[in-house]
Amino acid sequence: MSRWRYFAKRVLLSIPVLVFGASITFLVIRAGPLDPVSAILGPQGDPQAYEAIERRLGLNQPLWQQYIDYMVRLFTFDLGQSWVVQPNTSVYELVLSYAPRTIWLGFWSVLIAIFIGIPLGFYAGLNPNTFSDYVASFGGIVWRAMPNFWLAVILMSVLSQSEKILFGFDWEAWLVPTIVTGPPPLPDPIWGLFTNPDQFLRALKKIAPAAIVLGSASMGNEMRIGRTAVLETINSNYIETAKAKGVPPRSLVWKHIFRNALIPLVPIITGEAFLLIGGSVLVETVFDISGIGFLFFQGITNGDMPLVGSLMFIFILLVVVINIVQDLLYTIIDPRVGYDGGN
Amino acid sequence: MAQTERTETRSEQEPLLSVENLQTAFFTDKEVIRAVDGISFDIRRGETVGIVGESGSGKSVTARSIMGLVDTPGRILDGSSIRFDGEELTDKTEKEYRNIRGGDIAMVFQDPLTSLNPVYSVGNQIKEALRLHQGMKGAQATEEAIDLLEAVGIPDASRRVKEYPHEFSGGMRQRAVIAMALACDPELLICDEPTTALDVTIQAQILELLDDLQEKRDLAIMFITHDMGVIAETSDRVNVMYAGEVVESAPVEELFANPRHPYTQGLLKSIPGNQPDADRLETIEGDVPTPNEPATYCRFEPRCPKAFDDCTRVHPEGVEVNADADDHTAACLLYPEDESREEAVAVHDRRGNDEEVTNE
Repeated sequence: MSRWRYFAKRVLLSIPVLVFGASITFLVIRAGPLDPVSAILGPQGDPQAYEAIERRLGLNQPLWQQYIDYMVRLFTFDLGQSWVVQPNTSVYELVLSYAPRTIWLGFWSVLIAIFIGIPLGFYAGLNPNTFSDYVASFGGIVWRAMPNFWLAVILMSVLSQSEKILFGFDWEAWLVPTIVTGPPPLPDPIWGLFTNPDQFLRALKKIAPAAIVLGSASMGNEMRIGRTAVLETINSNYIETAKAKGVPPRSLVWKHIFRNALIPLVPIITGEAFLLIGGSVLVETVFDISGIGFLFFQGITNGDMPLVGSLMFIFILLVVVINIVQDLLYTIIDPRVGYDGGN
Repeated sequence: MAQTERTETRSEQEPLLSVENLQTAFFTDKEVIRAVDGISFDIRRGETVGIVGESGSGKSVTARSIMGLVDTPGRILDGSSIRFDGEELTDKTEKEYRNIRGGDIAMVFQDPLTSLNPVYSVGNQIKEALRLHQGMKGAQATEEAIDLLEAVGIPDASRRVKEYPHEFSGGMRQRAVIAMALACDPELLICDEPTTALDVTIQAQILELLDDLQEKRDLAIMFITHDMGVIAETSDRVNVMYAGEVVESAPVEELFANPRHPYTQGLLKSIPGNQPDADRLETIEGDVPTPNEPATYCRFEPRCPKAFDDCTRVHPEGVEVNADADDHTAACLLYPEDESREEAVAVHDRRGNDEEVTNE
C-alpha cells in the first residue's frame, strides 16, 4: 500500500470518530444544565416570551429531531449563529476574529516547548549524571510539576509589579511598554506582523508570559522524555556498531542518535497539542486574552449551544488532524512503521 | 586446518596484533574491577585466534580495549601495550583511533538483531563506512555496497541494499553486519560472539562465510565465544580466559587433545556428549569471581578440583607446560609438569616477583 492510499484510509476512518465525538458533545450540551433561553431573557422573563424564544430556537422540538438537525449542520459545515454571546453573529465570523490570538499563543507555547525542552533533554541525555544534567533534570521536574493555572496567576502578579520584586527590573516598561494582561495587539491584516518588526516585538512580548505558562508542562515533559530517549539510544548496540565503524561523535549524535531518539518524542509533542486546546481555555481566561478558549468559556457559561457545539466540533476536528499528522511523521521518521497493519 | 604448517611459520612471522600485559579496569565508587588483568597474546595475518571463557571472564572487554571503545569509568592502565602492525594503539588520540576503527580493525557484535540502526537502510550504513574510510560517495559507493552484500552471500543484493534492517532475517542481518565490517578491507576482524544469537544452521553458514572471507582476504580474525564447539571449528589458536586472565594458550588441536589447566579440562568435560558413559553432565561448580583486587593467588582455586595449599599464596604465571611443549602455556602451579611441585611453585613465585620489579 502506498503512503497516500494509507492516508486516504486514515481520513476515511476518522469520519466515525467525528460522528461519535459530535454525538457525545450534543448529549453533554443537552443533558447539562445549560439554559440558553433564560440566558437570553434574564432572570425575570415571563413564560410567554420564554416559550416564544424556545420555539424560535427550535428547542421545543423532539430531541432526536434536534440531534439530526445538529449533525446535518455540522457535517455540512454550517456552524450556525451564536445565540447568547454575540447574538446573530455567525460562528465563522466569531472564530475568525478570535482564533488569531489563540493561534499566536499556541504557536509560541509549542515552539518554546520544542526549542527549549527537547534540546535541554538531549543535552542532559548526552551528558548523563553530570552537574548540568542534574540541573536540567531537576528543572524539568519542577517545571513539569507546576500546574498552569497556578503558574499563570503567580507569573501575572509577579510581572505586573516586577519593579518591586525583581530588583528594579520593570517588565511592563522593558523594550516596549505593555501591560501583562489583555489580548496581544495583532495587526488587522495579520501579515503586518512580518513587515513591521515593532509590531512583531510588541505582539510577542505581550503573549510571552501566557505562552510560557501554557508551554511549561510540555517543556518539562519533552525534556524528561528527550533525556530518557537519548540515554536509551546511546546505550543500544547499533551505536556501539557505529562507533566501531569509526563514526565521529558529531555524526554519531546527529545521524544515529537524534533520529532514533525522536521516535518516542513524536507522540509527546502531538499529545501536547491536545493539551494546548484545554489549557488555552484556562490561560486565556487568566491573562484575559480573548481567544478561542475565552470564547468557548463564555459560550459555556452563557449556554450558547450552537457556539459551544461548533467549537467542540472544531476541537475534535483538530485532534483528528493532529493524529493523522502524527502518523505521517511516524512513517517519515521510522521506516519500521508499516502501512498495511500487521506484516 | 593446516595446523602443522602454520605453527612452523608462526614464530617467524611478525604478528599483526600484539597484546602485551593488557590491563583494563573499571573504577567504580565501590571498588576497582580488573576486568582484564594482564593478558598477552598475538594474532598473525590469516590466522584465527579464539578467546574462550565463561560470561564475565573479560572476553568482550578485551575486544573493546583493542578497539579503543572502553567507556568511563573503564580505563586501560599504564603499562599495557597493544601493537597493531607496528604501531602502538594505546597512545593514539581519539581522532587517530577513529581511522583505525572500521578501517584497519573492524568488529562484528553479538546480536545482529540490534546491531544495525533501524532507521537507516542497510545500504546507507555500509556506505557510511565507505565514505568515512575511503571517501567513496554516490553511485560508486552504492555499487561497492552491492558488491559487498553479494560477497557475504546475500541474494538479490541490488534490491536488498535499499531495504531496512527489519526487512532482513537474523542470519541476513549478521551477513549485512559482516559486509559493513569488511567495507574498508580491514586487516583484523574482531568477532564478539557473532553466532550466539543465531540458530545452529545459520550459525554454521556464518562460520563458513567467515572462513571463506578469511581465505580470500588474508584476514586475521579474533574470535570471541563461550562455545567450545565453535572454537574447535574456527580457530587456529585458542586462549582460555578466566576472571580477566589468560589461563591457557595453545594451538587448537593441542588444546582439545591435551588440555592442561584444570579449568580448560573442566570446560571440555562440560560439553554435552563428550562423556558418553557418564550419567550426569559434569560441570564446574560456582561462578567466576569478580576480579576486584590484584591477584596474589590463583583466581580459579576456589573451584579447582586439583587445588593445593600454595594455590592461595602464589599467583600462577603463564609457563610452558613442559620442557618439550611447543607453544602451549598454562597459568597453573601444576606446571611445568616435568619439575617437582616445589620447584614448579618456585618458578611461578620467581616470575611473579620479577614482573612486579619490572612493573615498578
